[in-house]
Amino acid sequence: MKGEIVHDGDIISFTGRFNITDIREVTSSLEGITASETILNFTNCKSIDASIAARIWSVSEAKKRKGISLLCQSMNTDIQKTFARFRAIDNRSIAPAPKRTLLYNFEDIGDRVLATWDTVSGLLSFTAQAFRALFSGKVRGPITAYYMEQSGVMAVPIVIALNWLMGVVLGYQAGYQMKQFGGELFMPALLAYSICWEIGPMMTAVLVAGRSGSAFAAEIGTMKVRQEIDALEVMGFNLYGYVVTPKMIALFIVMPLLVTVANFAGMAGGLAAGGFFLKMPSAVYIAEVRKALIPFDLYWGVVKSFFYSTIISVTGSYMGMRVRGGPAAVGKATTSAVVVSIFLVILVDALLSLVFVHLRPGLSL
Amino acid sequence: MTEKIIQIESLTGGYDGSVVLQNVSMDVFKGEVLVIVGRSGCGKSTITRYMVGLQKPYSGRILFDGIDIWSSSKALDSARRRWGVLFQSGALLGNYTVIENVMLPLKEFTNLNRVEMMDVALSKLEVVGMEHAAFENPLEISGGMQKRAGLARAMVLDPEVLFFDEPSAGLDPVTSAELDETILSVNRSLGTTLVIVTHELPSIFAISDRVIMLDPDEQGIIATGSARDLADNSEDPRVRAFFGRKIGE
Repeated sequence: MKGEIVHDGDIISFTGRFNITDIREVTSSLEGITASETILNFTNCKSIDASIAARIWSVSEAKKRKGISLLCQSMNTDIQKTFARFRAIDNRSIAPAPKRTLLYNFEDIGDRVLATWDTVSGLLSFTAQAFRALFSGKVRGPITAYYMEQSGVMAVPIVIALNWLMGVVLGYQAGYQMKQFGGELFMPALLAYSICWEIGPMMTAVLVAGRSGSAFAAEIGTMKVRQEIDALEVMGFNLYGYVVTPKMIALFIVMPLLVTVANFAGMAGGLAAGGFFLKMPSAVYIAEVRKALIPFDLYWGVVKSFFYSTIISVTGSYMGMRVRGGPAAVGKATTSAVVVSIFLVILVDALLSLVFVHLRPGLSL
Repeated sequence: MTEKIIQIESLTGGYDGSVVLQNVSMDVFKGEVLVIVGRSGCGKSTITRYMVGLQKPYSGRILFDGIDIWSSSKALDSARRRWGVLFQSGALLGNYTVIENVMLPLKEFTNLNRVEMMDVALSKLEVVGMEHAAFENPLEISGGMQKRAGLARAMVLDPEVLFFDEPSAGLDPVTSAELDETILSVNRSLGTTLVIVTHELPSIFAISDRVIMLDPDEQGIIATGSARDLADNSEDPRVRAFFGRKIGE
């Protein structure tokens, strides 16, 4: 027998059996109640399913907050049992949402500071463990070669393209400005310094963080979700040695090469810009670049790349290892790996710039 | 079957500060098939994670062959060489073939050459009936096959104890029964101690020597004994409710 609802003043009677197909009728009957006290009479009601009980319970709770009481009467045992589940929820204390007071804002800031500190201290500890494994463990040739190919060889085209374009843009912009007061001959030196000191290493690091750092986090995060990391751990593998150090070693080897390639690609871009926009002969451009650069400028990019390799490989691995839960957490880890890696690369770059001015021959403030 | 291989003493633990297990003590005896059962959220998998050293308890001790596994990293490392774990998903590494997965522990912890390692790995795959899929990618084989391959990897170093986290989960009854048979044959032929987390009644009755039942409200053990004894004689309504289900439910 299908459920029927009858309104009689302040009494609403439920007759028959109610299931999810009746939920709209139940809702509209209850939501229209305005009297301060209304009786829900279940004398002739055979059964209700959980969805109807949930609906009645939630409307009743909402009405209660407005000072309107809904009183259930004459329920049979089955209906009482169905309702009992929701009464149990009712009895549980639900923590009220914290009010946005001044203190709450300070607590919020404090929580964020603590969370950041947690990440920083975790990352430092992870880095220490990774280096410990690096110096004490064995080199896993095939895995390292795989990551060298993925992070190095496969990245060469995009590194060349991006840095060449950066060289073109910088060469054109600088040349255009300098030409206005006849100084376009200084463009090659300016461009070479910019590329070798900053743009080449930085753009390469950003690219590798985006390509490989995210891939490391996603790979390890997926391994965590699939319990592969747990399996390696219970088999007695040194996780740092097995999962992290091959990635570190691979980047230690390929990053200096990529940075060197990036530097030459960037300067080639400047050559193209000089020739095309400023009509500067190639020989003049090359001679000016050679006059400006010293070997230290090229080595400096290599030095920086070791710091960047550490940051990208360790941060990507750390974010992957922190994954808990399902696939959504892998996505978050990937994003965090890229954001944190790029931030740390820029931070370390700023610190290294302070060192650079003291180390480079012929440069003083 | 009276010699203890694992002893858990007053273990309290959980996740992120919350308590799932409170003051739990239990023993695992050499050569037995111990099945841990209970409702969802009672801490079955959690207690296994503690036993295999994946988590450190808030308090209490886990002794493997009389040595506290958390007393030093050396103690944990040496214990890890003596047990194997089959995870719910099989947990095979996706970028290696099945046989390379089985060979992983051999590569890491033995001095065998490649040919010898392959022979050992193939023999273990044969035990679990997976030799025909040795060179398949683990991600391209069925769930039941992944678990069998995971079992071959877990037993490749001939561990003294094998842990299984819900081995039947996600498997059809026939495959599940076949896996139970394989698991039991490992115990009967090699004498390996088995600790199995499951809530599949047919498996519990088929393979267990002893059952420990956990309860989420008690945050600990509420019953221990043989499956038949618990099903027939327990007066605890929670135990009766668990074993009172019809087989296959």
